[in-house]
Amino acid sequence: MALAQSGWKLSYSNSWVRVVGVSRRSSGAAAKPAIFQASCPPPSPAIAVKIRRKCFINWRWTQQPPQLLEDKKSDASFFIRCSKYGSSIGAASNTNSGKGYLASTDQELMSQCQMDTFKASGPGGQHRNKRESAVRLKHLPTGLTAQAVEDRSQHMNRASALARLRALIALKVRNTVDLDAYSPPQELLQILPPKSTIRGSDCGPQIGPNNPKFILGMQALLDLIFAVEGSVSEAAKFLGLSTGALSRLILSNDSLRLAVNELRFSKGMKPLK
Amino acid sequence: MKLSFSPKLSTFLKPSSVTNLHRSFCSSSISSPPPTSLKPQTPLFLKPPVHSAAFSDLQKWHDWAKSLASSVGSTFVDLDNGPDSTLLCREIKWLMEDAIEEESEGMENNQRSIRLRVALEELYMLWKQRVEERRPFQYVVGCEHWRELVLCVQEGVLIPRPETELIVDLVGDVVLGNEGLREGLWADLGTGSGAIAIGIGRILGTGGRVIATDLSPAAIEVAGFNVQRYGLQDVVELRQGSWLEPLKDMEGKLAGLVSNPPYIPSDDISGLQAEVGRHEPKVALDGGINGMDDLLHICKGAASMLKPGGFFAFETNGEKQCKHLVEYMENDAGGNFCNLKIVPDFAGIHRFVTGFHK
Repeated sequence: MALAQSGWKLSYSNSWVRVVGVSRRSSGAAAKPAIFQASCPPPSPAIAVKIRRKCFINWRWTQQPPQLLEDKKSDASFFIRCSKYGSSIGAASNTNSGKGYLASTDQELMSQCQMDTFKASGPGGQHRNKRESAVRLKHLPTGLTAQAVEDRSQHMNRASALARLRALIALKVRNTVDLDAYSPPQELLQILPPKSTIRGSDCGPQIGPNNPKFILGMQALLDLIFAVEGSVSEAAKFLGLSTGALSRLILSNDSLRLAVNELRFSKGMKPLK
Repeated sequence: MKLSFSPKLSTFLKPSSVTNLHRSFCSSSISSPPPTSLKPQTPLFLKPPVHSAAFSDLQKWHDWAKSLASSVGSTFVDLDNGPDSTLLCREIKWLMEDAIEEESEGMENNQRSIRLRVALEELYMLWKQRVEERRPFQYVVGCEHWRELVLCVQEGVLIPRPETELIVDLVGDVVLGNEGLREGLWADLGTGSGAIAIGIGRILGTGGRVIATDLSPAAIEVAGFNVQRYGLQDVVELRQGSWLEPLKDMEGKLAGLVSNPPYIPSDDISGLQAEVGRHEPKVALDGGINGMDDLLHICKGAASMLKPGGFFAFETNGEKQCKHLVEYMENDAGGNFCNLKIVPDFAGIHRFVTGFHK
């Protein structure tokens, strides 16, 4: 494939990603569909997507239908969905993808997903009255899936699934943290209790575990805790909190608690209770 | 409306012989759906729970309903791509949600009385209609969940489709940075239940207005009911008539024009899934020989109706129609339009054409 010659490599754990609609700005060539055979391993707990390239590649999201629907060669073939929103990823080696995903809008995040349960059987639209409102979203860059089946409206299930996906990304996708020059990001400060010595008075009220914004802070907190290998006392120091106060924060959210304890277990440490 | 039925549904799964009960309830029931009347019928979930039934009787109904659904298997799928047993069983759950008043805890006593929004006999009739006549589920319960709304629907009104949900998002995107559009006058042509009009009425600015037109008086009534339920009487105005006819006084003034017009080619109507072809209004589905009659008619009028910079979004049958529309707008419509786009739905089918008036 012409693109292979450009020295462009996509490494994604052990799998390749099938791509539709890539153009090379450097040569001025028109967008050519570039297709790589794809096979996807089962999603692993922590996935970092690294994109290395030698020349600048401008990804253009086209509105061409994913003809790959017909291709049954690969087991779990997927494709980056078309979106009417032009989006360019001129990414360097990206070790902050987790944060990037959570910072995306719902539409941007949606465009990175494949809606699995939506079976296009026939022309759809006015032709059809079969309400399969359940939605399962597979986030292609990370392989994470989230679903929602409770609501009778597909739109509502889509919104719920997206919210659950965000929580999953926060729990499973890590950003690297430089402990030597560590400065807790704003979203993390906002979920800390007021007694934190580094919180600052302009942080606003503490964002609680039921607030959707908690998820961003939770991701940053987990990034830190992973960086200190599960030590709550070490992490607490960085956050201006006592060990007990940080423990309480972790225990205030079930998923957060489970994620931290899973890490601690893997390091031979006792779980927080 | 949450139903805490799950603990008891496990008792519902025990098989029980219900044939006698079924016969005695069904022999005297009306078996045809009510005629299309102008007055909007109250959807099931809004009816007061003035009926009641013994828990054990409701359990028998549930068992009967499930076995009727299971007996379908994949016959409807094979016949006309209709629903299978799994889908029908899910509908039973939703039917119960709408028909049964949410009860409190402590449901061990089988003799306890359950409050219903329809008589138990009618519950038998409704489910019988669903399976034996392929009456659409949405007409059975009188409503459809669409986006974040619950819209009243009945015979004579097209049931809003999930694909159409996207139109509201498309409008949302263009009004985001555009006050002229956000506070402007929009039109939803062929509004049916009022779905799109209500959807966009909720996201426009405080000065934004919507005029929704429909040929069918039944649709206008139902749309009016829905507009009222969402408190949008001051935002959405309904005008009965054909397409742009009722909007003659708005030439050159529209900020936006949206529509989900009939787009099915006439020859395809007879092959449709029975729920659609046998029960939904043909006038809302049949778009003529190649399905494009109404789409083209609307496009022809769009140029004179939209103000400069005005936006339009139309839903179509798919890729062929989208391409045809774009070609038409580019070549035949006097070069009045720009930024023409084809937008896929979530199944990847090219579903919408959008653009702006120059």
